[in-house]
Amino acid sequence: MSLFFQSLVLGVLLGGLYALLAAGLTLYFGVMRVVMIAHSAFLILAAYLAWFFTTETGLDPLLSLVVTVPLFFVTGVLMQRLLISRLRPATLTMMSVLLTFSVALVIEGMLGFVFSGTQRRIRLPYSGDSIDLFGANIAVVKLIAFALAAVSLGALFLILKKTQFGQALRATIQHPDAARLIGINTDRIAGYGFGLGLSTAAIGGTALALDSTIYPSLHWHWIGPLMAIIVVGGLGSIPGAAIAAMLLGLGQSLLQIPLGTTWAQTLFYVALFATLMVRPQGFFGGRLAQRF
Amino acid sequence: MTDAVATDTRIGLATEGLRKSFGGVTAVDGASVQFHHGKVNALIGPNGSGKTTFFNCVTGMIKPDAGRATYLGDDITGKASHKIARAGIGRSFQLCRVFPRMTVMENMLVAVRSTGLRHLARPARSDADVDRARELLARVGIDHLERSEARDISYGQQKLLELAGVLMGDPETIMLDEPAGGVNPALIDRIATLVRDLNAEGKTFLIVEHNMDLVMSLSDHVVVFDRGRQICEGPPSVVQSDPRVLEAYLGI
Amino acid sequence: MRSVSRAVGLLVLAVAVLAFPSLAPDPFILSVGVVIMSYAVLATSWNFVGGFTGYISLGHASYSGLGAYATALLVIHTSLNPWVAMLLGGLVVAALAVPIGIASLRVRGASFVIVSIAMVLILLLVFQSWGEFTGGSNGLRVPRPFDESVLRPEQHERFFYLHAALLAVALLAWWAIDRSRFGTGLKAIREDEDKAQSLGVPTFNYKLTAFVISAFFTALGGGLYALWFGFLDPIFQFSILVGSYMVLMSLLGGIRSLFGPLLGAVIVGYAVEFFKNQYGDTQFHLVAMGLLLGLVVLFMPDGIIPALSSLLNRFRPQAASIREVSAGDLAEQRRTASAATSTDDESTDRLSEGAQR
Repeated sequence: MSLFFQSLVLGVLLGGLYALLAAGLTLYFGVMRVVMIAHSAFLILAAYLAWFFTTETGLDPLLSLVVTVPLFFVTGVLMQRLLISRLRPATLTMMSVLLTFSVALVIEGMLGFVFSGTQRRIRLPYSGDSIDLFGANIAVVKLIAFALAAVSLGALFLILKKTQFGQALRATIQHPDAARLIGINTDRIAGYGFGLGLSTAAIGGTALALDSTIYPSLHWHWIGPLMAIIVVGGLGSIPGAAIAAMLLGLGQSLLQIPLGTTWAQTLFYVALFATLMVRPQGFFGGRLAQRF
Repeated sequence: MTDAVATDTRIGLATEGLRKSFGGVTAVDGASVQFHHGKVNALIGPNGSGKTTFFNCVTGMIKPDAGRATYLGDDITGKASHKIARAGIGRSFQLCRVFPRMTVMENMLVAVRSTGLRHLARPARSDADVDRARELLARVGIDHLERSEARDISYGQQKLLELAGVLMGDPETIMLDEPAGGVNPALIDRIATLVRDLNAEGKTFLIVEHNMDLVMSLSDHVVVFDRGRQICEGPPSVVQSDPRVLEAYLGI
Repeated sequence: MRSVSRAVGLLVLAVAVLAFPSLAPDPFILSVGVVIMSYAVLATSWNFVGGFTGYISLGHASYSGLGAYATALLVIHTSLNPWVAMLLGGLVVAALAVPIGIASLRVRGASFVIVSIAMVLILLLVFQSWGEFTGGSNGLRVPRPFDESVLRPEQHERFFYLHAALLAVALLAWWAIDRSRFGTGLKAIREDEDKAQSLGVPTFNYKLTAFVISAFFTALGGGLYALWFGFLDPIFQFSILVGSYMVLMSLLGGIRSLFGPLLGAVIVGYAVEFFKNQYGDTQFHLVAMGLLLGLVVLFMPDGIIPALSSLLNRFRPQAASIREVSAGDLAEQRRTASAATSTDDESTDRLSEGAQR
């Protein structure tokens, strides 16, 4: 029973991180109809930067966010402006996949080049600490990671709902032509949307570095589940992605008890196929998916 | 038109309570419309009155949220667009769509009706099809461009190609979304003549158009849309003087 | 003129391929030749779906990997003739491709790519974990189709020709589809799917058929490779990188051209083998591969063959004007032939010609 409860809590914590990262992927898709394969490669890059920051300075990896978040935001804007926007609209979806895929390869290769293929892990004074939560034994780093993800997701939600920029962004996602008609500079908004999406990778990467062993090709383990999440949630729907992320994160965590880690991962792909067969537009909103 | 045709009021394409909304915006709001078979029908209305969305709902490009569409009494609601094409309804697109990297001839051959697997292996260029394609290209006046890629010909020529391509599928009913949009007056005349000739040969037309002179001179039956539904219908002369139409267009 | 030069080109290509084994200075070069041929088979097979429909699959390693494992497992467990096993493996994979295609082609674009990548990841997971059946991470040894008396270089030579034969069949099939009614429909889907469907093309069935044909040939390519190489490891069989090689090769050569993927395979395949030989297993080839793919996507999405032919046309003014002349000729003929037609006709002629200039 306590094992079940433990898995449940761990599932929620994992789901939070998935939700944040899937929200980023959804943003790219929403503003540009781009399936950003390099999202998880940036995630691992951020994790490496956090690890590097801590091993070099001895400071807490969370402080690396001060650098990585703005850096990733700018990188996202530049990537949209300099790379994605060069593609012809007619073949944008397909070609952007290839372009972001090539970015992922370059990042993976450079990480291997600079930091070697060795597995890395941050050692923190509180790495081994854990709290007893209603009988479940939860590592402190996992709680911190979740809190980071939850706060960022909340901030993202507020930005989208409350700010003028958020409104413009949502208008661009829902109806780009109409957004242009009412005077929104959709190109600029798309750039910022990209930057915002990439910022989630910066935060997610730091959270990941807190309690995971990292290596350059790790991003392939993330991109599959994340893409499954955004399809299940309905391409282009941020709340949909968040709900799907929570459910699948929980499911994965619970299935690990009877099936083991490897087979539990197949849940994402089963969910992906089931969704495409039964309800290709996704389960939680996502009008966009019908057309793409 | 002759008297015999005038008494023929068979209903071709018709809708009942057709509805489609995008997010919070209702583009087609319970449209119940009847178009006359064998005639040139026009669908007019101010910008954003839902004409193109109506077109797309009827031709299966998008699924309506509610309501029914029928063609000659058969239910075609929500059917896939290739099935609707095979039921005998061809269409053009608002901003002229041709296959840019295919030659003019290849563009024509896409619409050749082929059913069943044994047709798949057939060479694309069966002589009969090519001859028919040439005939149609000659009819719209671009047969000398047969070997050019569609992206290399002018916009007006692309419009003619699109029309010829639709004709290649031999539809009974042809829906044209702004056939006169963005083309010069000489070409508009040419298109108008084509529509009249084809109609005399028995084709039904349904035209969305903003060029009122063209609509009034060409059509037998006009349907006026405002805010996603029909507000008035009838012969051009009647519609022209209807106060509701003026109100919709001018907002008086 | 054009058909003659094409025939000469084909002849040169065939002679070059047939002569390669006897020209290769040592068995290593010969084995590189086999690898490049294998890439050419895979890229050409990929191009059945990528080139005709424009749907980019990054996960075609799924089908080559499945074909390889299906062939190997059939040979091991049923003692079937290896060539029959290979064909059967191809058919099994084609059957598997049907539900995968249905799931991924029903909605447009993005989900196709997502599923293609997901397939590779899921298969890697399954084949690594399912040890007792697939050999797991330890790999699977595949019995050789030719007995021990056939020496290494001889093996390479035979497999080189076998790959060349499979490539020829795949090219022939591609060519046949290209000029069929089916092919016209597929190309229309690539250009504008909605428009194609509105003209009556059953787009979903067409896409699915192309996809299954592509999976079939890819699986045969994988099976043949398995019989040659004699050893399968999930991490190399179900590798995103292998799938992206197919994309890069086809794209670089030109996905609209029959021989584009072959040309791309020769270039990229040679480069990959060169880098592996020169720099070993560093991360450098990832960076190189990523940069090359990015450059192709950004600056040469149509590939080398179309770029070269348009370049040639630019340097040969008379070649560029051929179309112009023939178009004018045709118009002239028509005018004289139908001298009695209305003035309407004349006006469009002038109109269209004016627009052409």
